[in-house]
Amino acid sequence: MTATKHPGQHASADDPRIMLDEQIGVFEPIPPYPPRTEREAEFYTLGDGEMFINIGPQHPSTHGVLRIVLKIRGEQVVDLDPVLGYLHRGVEKLCENADYHQAICYTDPLEYVSSLFMEWAPVIAFEKLLDVRVPRRAEYIRVLTGELNRVMSHIMFVGWMALDLGGLTPILWGFIERDEIVEMLAAVTGQRMLFNYFRIGGVNGDLNHDFMSRLGRWMSHATSQLEAELTLLNENEIFVRRMRGLGAVDSQTALRMCLSGPNLRASGLPFDLRRAHPYSVYPELDFDVVTRAEGDCLARYLLRMDEIRQSIRIIDQCLHEMPDGPVMAKLPRLLRPRPGRAYAAIEGPRGQYATYAISDGTDQPFRMRIHDPSFVNLQTVGLVMPGNLVADTVAVMASLDPIMGGVDK
Amino acid sequence: MDRSLRRRLDGRFGELTTGPVRQRNDETEIRIGPGDLVQVMRALHDEPDLRFRFLADLAGVDTGIHLQVVYHLWSDTTADWLRVIVDGLPRDDPRVPSVTFLWKGAEWQEREAYDMFGITFEGNRDLRRIYMPPDYTSFPLRKDFYLADDASRSPAGGVRHMEQVHAPRNAPPAVAVRRTTVA
Repeated sequence: MTATKHPGQHASADDPRIMLDEQIGVFEPIPPYPPRTEREAEFYTLGDGEMFINIGPQHPSTHGVLRIVLKIRGEQVVDLDPVLGYLHRGVEKLCENADYHQAICYTDPLEYVSSLFMEWAPVIAFEKLLDVRVPRRAEYIRVLTGELNRVMSHIMFVGWMALDLGGLTPILWGFIERDEIVEMLAAVTGQRMLFNYFRIGGVNGDLNHDFMSRLGRWMSHATSQLEAELTLLNENEIFVRRMRGLGAVDSQTALRMCLSGPNLRASGLPFDLRRAHPYSVYPELDFDVVTRAEGDCLARYLLRMDEIRQSIRIIDQCLHEMPDGPVMAKLPRLLRPRPGRAYAAIEGPRGQYATYAISDGTDQPFRMRIHDPSFVNLQTVGLVMPGNLVADTVAVMASLDPIMGGVDK
Repeated sequence: MDRSLRRRLDGRFGELTTGPVRQRNDETEIRIGPGDLVQVMRALHDEPDLRFRFLADLAGVDTGIHLQVVYHLWSDTTADWLRVIVDGLPRDDPRVPSVTFLWKGAEWQEREAYDMFGITFEGNRDLRRIYMPPDYTSFPLRKDFYLADDASRSPAGGVRHMEQVHAPRNAPPAVAVRRTTVA
């Protein structure tokens, strides 16, 4: 039976045909309002032989709910316009209306792949406002769990990137290793993904036997398992030839685009906040800041793999050098920092996570700016895509590794 | 705290800053007016003894009185973060020059500040709302935008601000929920 086009004919909401009366599935890319800026007017004016296609907001390769309007000529991308805000929750406003402890809980769902880093930046900022000294053991635990989280995040990056390019195996292999780390962190934090483990003045709890035994088991095979996993892609000619030279960003452009983290280091700049602006106990730890000169998608992938090796090195040092002692500074329940401003930035798996907190002397932050690297890094896709193929948009986006929870805040 | 940075900034921008250079923890702060922003940023970015090439963050701030735009910069010449505060933007028409001529990547951050605070960045050629829908008219992160459930701090004690419209006659006058301001 075909649906008839008589609006208002079906009075009953139970009628199964009622849904078919709506015109669905027609994509109208041009917004129904006059262009707000000159850039929008320019983008939504079609040239000769050009057309729009829409990717997202619910497309598996957009890593969340990102919508991208592509202007294409044939198979070539002419321009693109990312449309954000589908996941916007107004976290900064929520944090202004929560007290200092509660604000940390709001921040970690932003970055649901590496939550510990999203907690870390506000925690340091609040500690600066309060002039708290964090016990050294707590700092070591933060570094240890943070680096585990970085490994986990980079492993997910490989899986997703391969998945976006049509390879299913790396994500399945990656999940084996990721699950080990997730269970390990769950043993110490009590949560699998949104840990809420870092507290102002330390961490929530000391390392326990369950965590240590899982960590020991993982460390015994982490390197060999990682190398085995990397052979999947590093020796895959299709992958390597597709990624080489794609979406290249040189170092000056990378700085101009405010890139940070692995995306910046893949362009040849050794900018790592763990060394460039040290925090926690990183000055005492021995690791290399890896860089790559090419700045293309392959470099961004290989750089993250090198970072996993460095992270394993750091974890190993933490285990050997971790001092005994308390894991939490003595602080009152109700925190009222003196009026002032504090900025804290840390090096996360996607770049610079930062928090800019302003205190007005009450128990709630007056303003809490959350800087997310995914948001800034994602802009580069608009810079490098023109001239490339439609299918490469997905590859370039995957190599920049945005997390939409952080992009949309 | 980097005392030499303070001396350098005082020497170079002494007449442009609207207050003394402040330092706390690992942060150095200068305040300027919106008219001097382009000149100061270009100097900070280009001059070889300053070399602030990395724009770490761009944030809007509502102090409760007026609006500010806050830039955080990083340089390899100092161990401090440099915070540049563009101070004293009026609430009804805040205007700041854009820094996209130096950092193209500031474009989205400026769009965010526009979306959340209504600050107009002159020279940003794509200044439209980025998170909120296009037909949205208010600016959510301003202090005069109330959340429904932040009334616990309000003088009406638990009465939601929407309900305060229908307050009894002897209720205290409706004031901003957050009465504090920062400098």
